[in-house]
Amino acid sequence: MKILNLIIVLFSFSSVLVEPNCEAFKYYGDTLKYEACKKAMEINGHYQFSKEYQTILDESLKIDPTFDYAYWAKSIAYLKSGDFVTWRKLIDKAVEYNPKEHLGYRGWCRYQFFRDYKGTIVDIEKLDSLVDYDIGQSQNGTYHLNIAKGLCYKAIGQKEKAITIIENQIKFNEDENFVGKYDYLHLGVLYLETGEFENAIEMFKKQSHTNELAENQYYSALAFLSLDKSTEYKSCLKKAKELYVGGRKMHNPYSNPMDKIYLENIENEIKIAYNN
Amino acid sequence: MKNYRKQKKLIVILIFSSILLSCQSEKKVSEKQDYLRWVGDIEQNDKIDQLDLKACYGDDEILQYFNLGEGPIYSGEKSTLLNIFKSRYRPLIDKEQNGLIRIRFFVNCKGKAGRFRVLQSDYNYQEIKFDDRIVTQLADITKSIENWKVLYRREVPVDYYMYLIFKITSGQLTEILP
Repeated sequence: MKILNLIIVLFSFSSVLVEPNCEAFKYYGDTLKYEACKKAMEINGHYQFSKEYQTILDESLKIDPTFDYAYWAKSIAYLKSGDFVTWRKLIDKAVEYNPKEHLGYRGWCRYQFFRDYKGTIVDIEKLDSLVDYDIGQSQNGTYHLNIAKGLCYKAIGQKEKAITIIENQIKFNEDENFVGKYDYLHLGVLYLETGEFENAIEMFKKQSHTNELAENQYYSALAFLSLDKSTEYKSCLKKAKELYVGGRKMHNPYSNPMDKIYLENIENEIKIAYNN
Repeated sequence: MKNYRKQKKLIVILIFSSILLSCQSEKKVSEKQDYLRWVGDIEQNDKIDQLDLKACYGDDEILQYFNLGEGPIYSGEKSTLLNIFKSRYRPLIDKEQNGLIRIRFFVNCKGKAGRFRVLQSDYNYQEIKFDDRIVTQLADITKSIENWKVLYRREVPVDYYMYLIFKITSGQLTEILP
């Protein structure tokens, strides 16, 4: 029972593996890749971190050292354990043998795990130049890759460029009825940071309608403060604290998202609000 | 008699052959066992690790911090951790000191941390060695944190692996992850 519980916990938080279609390799006459693929599929049922999982993929790569999927699958445990050196060697191999498939993933991980803003921009823009289709979402589905790219431009100080990228992507996302769970919030914070307070509040209202968060109310409060609307400022701070304590806050199992705040931030702001 | 000798010789050859083969296959097995139980596992090293700090449920039950689904959490939230490093880290101003430093360790069911291990790279993810004064400071501050968050699975406290990644630019500490 103990082992069963462990297995349930482990697999409930493992990455969703997009399995390759081994038969397709066979159909196109690539028997080596077909054999490597069949071997790699034996990882099913093994935890990404386990020696069994890693060993199976090593055997797959012995069959075909150009099989990108095996490098990618091997790299995940290193990524999640913070071993950026080994991760990078493995994921670079995956990108080398199949750039269209792995560039977006590598770029996203560089942002999510290592805050490698410039590296993420390079990878996402490279992918964009290689394909004529939508470059798609981040691995965890939180953002369209263009939103992630916009956040990276913000992080390196190019806020106007970040705003343009994120505004454009949100328009597309609205058309597709597929707005990301933090999209409006990030754009609102960018407006707030560039002094566009009315626009910021408009975005925060949209965020409230789609996915209310403590962060959303906290930044709303700051925007109202900048507009000298004291009542709204205090009211938003109160809501922010309630939401935070109730667990309605930005969350990611692996890392802290950009624009995330902590209870300390809210409480400090409340102290300021009521001392004035 | 001759036949008997021949048979004896054959048996000896077969025994030797089987011993040789078994050695080779053992070698192959041991090659496969280069991996520990899980990627990132840290074995106790009595020469450098605290002797009396043990995993509450044994090394085979140590999880990863994200297995519990709560995200990277710290005693007093991340802002407390950031404040600790901000107030105690003394930057070594040096344009050559750039890259990532990861300190990985385990936290036991009582929130005590041990088995600290350091990994260093430049911003191109190539392994390098930072100035010892930077690494030692970061390691000492990390080790000085007395209480880490106790994580629970079904209301039972667990042992887990955790890490901190420090982004260093010109010797300045610019970000702490995750």
